[in-house]
Amino acid sequence: MTDTASGAIEPGLGCPVIHEDYSRLREVGCHWQIAKEMRESEPVFFNTFAQGYWVFTRHDAVRDIYKNPELFSSESITPWEPEPIYRFVPTQIDPPDHIKYRRILNPWFSPRRMDEAETMVRSICRRLVEEVAPEGHCNFVREFALRYPTEVFLGVIGVDLGQADLFLQWVEDFFAGFGGDPDSVEVMAGALQSIREYWVDALAERRGDAEPREGDIASYLLHSTIDDRPLTDEEMLDMLTVLVLAGLDTTRAELGYMFRHLATHPEDRKRLIEEPEVIPYAVEETLRFYTIIFGDGRKATRDMEFHGVQLKKGDMVYGLVSGANRDPSVYERADEYVIDRKRNNHFGFASGPHRCLGLHLARREMQVAVEEWLRVIPDFRIAPDAELVERGGGSMMSLLDLPLEWEATS
Amino acid sequence: VKITVDGAACTGHGRCYRLAPDLLEFDDEGYVTIRDQTIDVPQDQIEAAEEAAATCPEEAISLLDD
Repeated sequence: MTDTASGAIEPGLGCPVIHEDYSRLREVGCHWQIAKEMRESEPVFFNTFAQGYWVFTRHDAVRDIYKNPELFSSESITPWEPEPIYRFVPTQIDPPDHIKYRRILNPWFSPRRMDEAETMVRSICRRLVEEVAPEGHCNFVREFALRYPTEVFLGVIGVDLGQADLFLQWVEDFFAGFGGDPDSVEVMAGALQSIREYWVDALAERRGDAEPREGDIASYLLHSTIDDRPLTDEEMLDMLTVLVLAGLDTTRAELGYMFRHLATHPEDRKRLIEEPEVIPYAVEETLRFYTIIFGDGRKATRDMEFHGVQLKKGDMVYGLVSGANRDPSVYERADEYVIDRKRNNHFGFASGPHRCLGLHLARREMQVAVEEWLRVIPDFRIAPDAELVERGGGSMMSLLDLPLEWEATS
Repeated sequence: VKITVDGAACTGHGRCYRLAPDLLEFDDEGYVTIRDQTIDVPQDQIEAAEEAAATCPEEAISLLDD
């Protein structure tokens, strides 16, 4: 799987050297296993993949990377690509400007907004569950977990649901290249171009409006200001593009892992049916234990000594979130899924100023999915011949397929 | 016991007010409302306050003895 544990300490670097491509498909669960092996053997590695970057495997270093944006810039968040072809706003903006963009977007994804959206979220979820229930089986990822967050997200930002299939394809194409696979960079660039063109047209159509359209984020941005000036087209396009990419892919991935867990743990399904108040804790534990973030990249802004190694300005670092989230120095029973875990300061939504903008939406979607699914399909299992593989940890990890089956509900 | 939130560290994860809904509230952006404030914790909320502090990924929440 990986030869990380045997890496010899390199005198010039002060840590073991590895050469590992994290972008490839692997059997489900392999990425968390790799992270565990790395965390248990060394606090830091140097990975010579691409131009080379540092991998910090433990909770304390990952926390310190997140907490110090003045030392670790978000100019690039993919350590194998220090000069990416895209610019996401506010994802790749550093303080002090970062918060100005975030404050424009925060109200759209606030807990209050999610309370208002819950009826819509639940009705989309219910419709999709009731569609598959009589069949007695489905490919959970493709038939439910892709469609549900896509429809919800487009509803939240005010995009016509008829566009869902278009967006889904663009997002798939983008993440094919995001993980560092050089053969897929052109596909990624094409997807970015298509998403951008969609928003160029949407902005053009709304530009003449005297008032912002209700519940329409493109229209809202046209009427927003930063430092007392309107947003530039470039800024609006960079914001809208990353919203789509972040909002559609990630929840699908977490839902896949959560339902794989529930399919294989009948006692946990039973607990959540009998005690639905535990569902929010189960969601949070899923985000810790089954984090889809293998690691998170940053760029060093200066020469510095950091957790035992000497970094140079411009070096890329990778905080291994998958390692940190199961670090036994922080979590009791770190290697167990504790369904009602309360003290759960995981990094599944990152940490620091760039913490996930959509986390309240993601939680709500996951909670509603569990409630609605278990109400209609309380017992289900993974199809016996299923081979489960996950997309590489270069992008967010994600099950490609999850065939489930149950007694058809007539 | 009192509870306080470091406003510069808090980024609005929202785990504290979910674990302690009878003690903490959120604002329109999703931040806890007591950033840079200190409030008293009623006796029946101490456990919830401790859980809220322990679950903050930013380590922004502190409990202070009277």
